[in-house]
Amino acid sequence: MNVSVQRNHPHEEPKSLTAGMLAGLVHLLFVALLVFGLHWKDHPPEGMVVDIWTELPKPIQEPVKAPPPSPPKQPEPQPTPPKPESPKPEPTKPEPPKPEPVKAEPPKPLPQKAAVTPPVKKPDIAMKQKPDPEEQKKKEQEKIKEQERLKEIEKQKELEKKKEQEKQKELEKQKELAKQKELEKQKEIEKQRELEKQKELARQKELQLQKEREQTAQRQREQEVKAQREAEAQRAAQQAAARNQVTNEISKYKALILAKIKSRIVMPPDLPGNPVVEFNVTLLPGGDILDVRLSKSSGHAVFDSAVERAIHLSKPLPLPPDPALFNEFRNLNITVHYRE
Amino acid sequence: MSTTVTQDMSFLHLITSASLLVQLVMLILVMISFFSWWYIFRKLFVIRSEIKKTDDFEDIFWRGVDLNAFHQRITSSRYQSGCLERIFAAGFGEFTKHPSGSDLEAVMESTRRAMRATYQREMDYLESHLSFLATVGSVSPYIGLLGTVWGIMNSFRSLSSVTQATIAHVAPGIAEALIATAMGLFAAIPAVVAYNRYASSTDQLATRFESFMEELSNVLQRRAAE
Repeated sequence: MNVSVQRNHPHEEPKSLTAGMLAGLVHLLFVALLVFGLHWKDHPPEGMVVDIWTELPKPIQEPVKAPPPSPPKQPEPQPTPPKPESPKPEPTKPEPPKPEPVKAEPPKPLPQKAAVTPPVKKPDIAMKQKPDPEEQKKKEQEKIKEQERLKEIEKQKELEKKKEQEKQKELEKQKELAKQKELEKQKEIEKQRELEKQKELARQKELQLQKEREQTAQRQREQEVKAQREAEAQRAAQQAAARNQVTNEISKYKALILAKIKSRIVMPPDLPGNPVVEFNVTLLPGGDILDVRLSKSSGHAVFDSAVERAIHLSKPLPLPPDPALFNEFRNLNITVHYRE
Repeated sequence: MSTTVTQDMSFLHLITSASLLVQLVMLILVMISFFSWWYIFRKLFVIRSEIKKTDDFEDIFWRGVDLNAFHQRITSSRYQSGCLERIFAAGFGEFTKHPSGSDLEAVMESTRRAMRATYQREMDYLESHLSFLATVGSVSPYIGLLGTVWGIMNSFRSLSSVTQATIAHVAPGIAEALIATAMGLFAAIPAVVAYNRYASSTDQLATRFESFMEELSNVLQRRAAE
């Protein structure tokens, strides 16, 4: 009984739910820390910007509201004064000129009347000689009429003269204006010509500069080409020298390899003729032999095997110290003659 | 507001704009962190109550009490009993099952076995989920680091299409990637601290249980010898 009870005994988890809630609380705290922590770093620049904007709008908005009413007020008084002012001078100006001609006309007739009256008096004297009062009266009336006519004619003549003078003045003015215009035109034409000349001069200068530039560029190119040719020649010479050195080195080491191999060959005695054997040898860097293949047999197996043994014996093969040259020695063709 | 050239670097925006793998890593880390904290609190309550119950039990037991009555009280209220009470109940129950004339050595041996078995079970209960906390403590930084590395990789990859590379192109990506590391560390640090603390507490309890077992077997042996 006891044992079974103990085995089934449930381990009561105390406050499992509260533990879960506390865990959730901790995470909420952490998230809040992250959110506000990161927001804090982000806010200061925004806050600065917002402060600047909140301060500025007030002064801007107030003037914006004020101007719309004020401008209309200002324009209204402004236009009204000009209207009364401008019409007033216009009528006043025309008025003064008119009286002037009127004034000018009366004085002229007055002296004419004075001039005319003396001749009238002379006939009066003549009339006194003839004692006819009626005739004299008629004559006087006729004379008065004639004087009046003369006066009218003179007035007309004077008006015509004035008109002519005015016309002449106008013509003169027009002529002067025309002359001025012509002078202005001539001046403009001269200015244009001068401008064109200046432009042409500038063009010529530019052309000269371009020519000079082209010439200098050509000289530079020629010099560069010469320098390049010289450099190429030097390079070619150097390369040729290097190649010569390389080829010398390669042929020297090939000869050394062949000599070493030949020194190790134990020649089989008494072979007929001069058999030739060819081997293809693959080398490793350092002179070790990776592979030896018989590429052309001499026909005598004894000789072939003797040469192959000699090749194997002569490792490491002498190689140039420059590792760049090893590619020339990677695959060697070794030809050995029985009799030299 | 319209003149702010800086990008929205708020926490939520960073999470929502992260790449899928980084978001997945963050989700995993949030779940791991939640469970780790849940277990931390559960184990806190369990171990604290267990220490209190052990204190109370030892206090009552060593005050000198009638063992039969004590045993009956414990078995009747076993759901509120602590580990040490259950160990005592198992040992005393096994001891009383044997008839009075049987071999003392055999009786003591079986009593000790019964107590040992209950002790193992109770220790298993006390140490449960502690391995989870240890795993969280050791693994979640790496998970966070994976998310961070992935996010930084992506943000640098996006630099390749830009002719003029500035820090502003990389900064949001790195920031959102580093959130993953922050979450991993947030999950790991409390888990490690809690694991170490709870491990030492359970060790202390285990030594107390073992010494009590030895002492109880002595008491029972003396009682049987009388």
